[in-house]
Amino acid sequence: MASPEIDEFEQLLFDWEDGTLDTAGTTRLRDLLRKSQAVRKVYVERQMFGAILKFDGDTGIDSADAGRGASGAATFSVSEEGPRFPSAVSESAVDASAALQKTADSVEVARRRYKSLLFVIAASFLFCLVLGRWLLVESRLQSAEQVKPETSEALPEKLESTSAGIALVTRLVDVTWQESEKQFTVGDALSVGVVGLESGVAQIEFFCGATVILEGPARLVLESSTVARLQSGRLRAQVPPAARGFQIHAEELRVVDLGTEFGVAVNEGEADVQVFDGEVELYQPNGEQRLVTAGNAITHAASGVFELAELTPDEFLGLEALDDRVRNQKEDRYQRWLDHSMELRKDPRVITYYSMEQDRYWKRRLASSVVPENRNLDGAIVGAKRVVGRWPQKSGIEFKRPGDRVRVNIPGQFGSLTFACWVKIDSLDRWYNSLFLTDSYQRGEPHWQILDTGQLFFSVRLGGGPGKGHHKVLSPPFWDASLSGRWLHLATTYNVETRTTKHFLNGEKLCEERIPDELFVQQTCLGKATIGNWSSPTRPEADFAIRNLNGSMDEFVLFRDALKSDEIRDLYIQGRP
Amino acid sequence: MSDTEQTENFVQQLTECQGRLFGYIYSMLGEHSRAMDVVQETNLVLWRKKSEFRDGAPFMPWALAIARFQVLAHVRDQGRDKCLLDSELVAALSEETEQQVDQLETKRLALRKCMSDLPQEKMEMLQLRYYRSMPIAEIAKSIGRRADAVKVALLRLRRGLADCMHRRIQEG
Repeated sequence: MASPEIDEFEQLLFDWEDGTLDTAGTTRLRDLLRKSQAVRKVYVERQMFGAILKFDGDTGIDSADAGRGASGAATFSVSEEGPRFPSAVSESAVDASAALQKTADSVEVARRRYKSLLFVIAASFLFCLVLGRWLLVESRLQSAEQVKPETSEALPEKLESTSAGIALVTRLVDVTWQESEKQFTVGDALSVGVVGLESGVAQIEFFCGATVILEGPARLVLESSTVARLQSGRLRAQVPPAARGFQIHAEELRVVDLGTEFGVAVNEGEADVQVFDGEVELYQPNGEQRLVTAGNAITHAASGVFELAELTPDEFLGLEALDDRVRNQKEDRYQRWLDHSMELRKDPRVITYYSMEQDRYWKRRLASSVVPENRNLDGAIVGAKRVVGRWPQKSGIEFKRPGDRVRVNIPGQFGSLTFACWVKIDSLDRWYNSLFLTDSYQRGEPHWQILDTGQLFFSVRLGGGPGKGHHKVLSPPFWDASLSGRWLHLATTYNVETRTTKHFLNGEKLCEERIPDELFVQQTCLGKATIGNWSSPTRPEADFAIRNLNGSMDEFVLFRDALKSDEIRDLYIQGRP
Repeated sequence: MSDTEQTENFVQQLTECQGRLFGYIYSMLGEHSRAMDVVQETNLVLWRKKSEFRDGAPFMPWALAIARFQVLAHVRDQGRDKCLLDSELVAALSEETEQQVDQLETKRLALRKCMSDLPQEKMEMLQLRYYRSMPIAEIAKSIGRRADAVKVALLRLRRGLADCMHRRIQEG
C-alpha cells in the first residue's frame, strides 16, 4: 500500500523523533515534506497519533494509572510545576512495567481518567491565570479603549502582520508624541524603529518578555525583540528570567540584563544606570565590562568615566505606579464626564439624551437621561448588544449585525438642531452607515450618517422629486482604518438662522456649508427614527436600505439649537476617554 | 451578556479546546516539552486577546489561527537545528493539520479500541516510546532486544495502528 517514498519518509521521521537523524537525513526529510502532499498527510497522521498517545499518557489515560492511588500527589506537583504539568503526571503516574501487571477495574479507570484529565486542565489554567494575572488587569483596563472586534477571517492576516513586530504597546498615559515620529495606540505592534514621546508614559512589552516603561520626553529606538537604544529620556525595564539577556544601549554603553529590574536615563551624553533588583552587566566600547548589583547606581559621563551615583528608584516610574496612573486617569476622566453629563441632562436645549450610563446589561430599554424625566423618549434596543463603553464602569451599545439598532420616537417641531455622539467605528461596510436616520425621511426630517468614503453626511429633507429633495452637506473624509476601534466624538449642527451646517470631529470643525435657499428647510422634526441603522423604508425609490453601523456608540445627544463651536469642543473635552 | 458571563464562556471554550490545541501544536513541533510550552504561550495569547473574540463566532478557528502564529514564532526563534518544520512547512501543513485535528476525538476513541487488542509486549514498547518518550536505544536495553529490531517493530506497530484507526473510523 505504501509507496517507497512514504516508507523512506516514515523511517526518517522515526529517526528524527528519536533524535538520531543526521543533517543530511533531516534535509531529505524536509524535502520529502515539501514535495509531496501525500507525505504531508502521512506526517500529520503520524504526528496526530503521537499527540494522542502522548496526551493520553500524560493525562493518565492508560492502564498504568489504575489502582496506583497516586493521582493526588501527581496533581499537586502539577499545579506547582506549571508548564511542565504533563511530564509531572507522566513521571509519577506512568510506570509502564508495573502497569503491565495490572488488571484494571474498568469503571475505576474511567473515573480516574476523567478526574485526572480535569486536573491537568485545571492546572493548566491555574498556571495560565497566575501568569496572566497582570494581563487580566491590563485587559480590564484596556477593554474600554481597545476592543477591536475583527472577523475571524481577518484574524490570521492580522496576526501575520503582527508577527513582523518586535514589541507591543500595552499602555499609554497622557501621551503626546514627538511630531516627527509615528503615533501609536494601545495594542499596536512595534517594528524596528523609533518611539518618540513628547510627554506622558508608554509601556512597551518586548516579545522576548521584557517590559519597558518609557517616560517622556524620551526617544527609544527599537532594534530587535531583545535590544533597544535609549537616545534620550528615562526608562525602567523589568526583565523576568525568561527574557534574560535583554539589552538597553545608552550612549556608548550596553546594559545587559541578567534577570532584574533596572532604570536607565540618558541626558546630554551622560547615561545613568540604576539597578533596583538583580544585576546587570555594563559593557563599554573598549570592551571593559562591569557588574552592577541591586541597590547600586552608576553614572557614565560623556568622557567615558564611571562614577558611583545615588540610587533614586522613585525617579523611575514602575509598573505598579503606572497601573495607578492608568486607573487614576480613567477614573478622573470618567468622573469628569459624569459631572458634565449631570449638567447636560438639565440643559433645556436638550431634546433627547442617551447617556448610556448605569444601564443594566440585560435591559433592552435605552433610558433617556433628560431631566425632568420623560420615559416616552426612552429608546428600544433591537439586536444590538450592550458592551463596555469609553470606560470600564460605563456601558455603550454595539451595532454589528445588519439588524442591530436602537428605535426612538421623538415628537415635536424644531428649528435648529445639533447632533453629537461618541462612536467607535470598526469599519465602514455600507455605502451609508447610519448614525441617526428618521424612518420615512419626509419634509423637515434629518438624516445623519457616514459614507463609506469616511465622510460625515447630513441632510434635511425638503420633499419633492428624487435627487432634488434635500441638500446634503458632506465633510471631508475624516475616517480611515487607522481610526478603527477608537472612540471618536462626532457632532453636526444645523443652524436655521444662518442656514448653515457644520460638521465636527473630536471638537474640531471639519467643515461648514451654507444651504442654498431653494433647498433650505426652516422647520425640522424627527418622529420615529433609528440610531445605528435605518428601518427599511417603504418608499419605492429608497435604495441602500442596509445602513447598519459597524461599531459602538457611547452617548448620544440631540439639541434644539445649533451649538457654538466652543460648546462642541467642550462636549469633546469633557467626554474624552 | 455581563463581563463575568463572557469570561466564563471564554474560559469554557478555552478549556474545551485544550486537547485539540495540543494535538495541533504537537503535530507541528513533534516534541513534547516544546509543544507544551507553545500550548501555554497560546493560552496566554488567547487570554490576552479575549476582548477581541466575539461571542458566537467559532472559537476553534480563531484559537488555531493564534496557535499557528505561536508555532511560527517558535519555529522562527528556535531555528532549523531544533525544529523539523520551518515557516514554509508550517504553512504547507497547517490546513491538513487543522482538518485532522478536527477529528482528534474520533481518532482517539478509535485508537483506544485498536490498542485494546495489542499483545503485552507491543503495548509495552509503545508505552515506553510514546508515553515516556524513551529513546530507541534505551527501550532496546530495557526489553533486551536489538535497537534495529525495536525500530522495525515500532514502525510496523505505528503503521498498523494507524491503519486500524482508519478502518474503525470508516466503519463508524
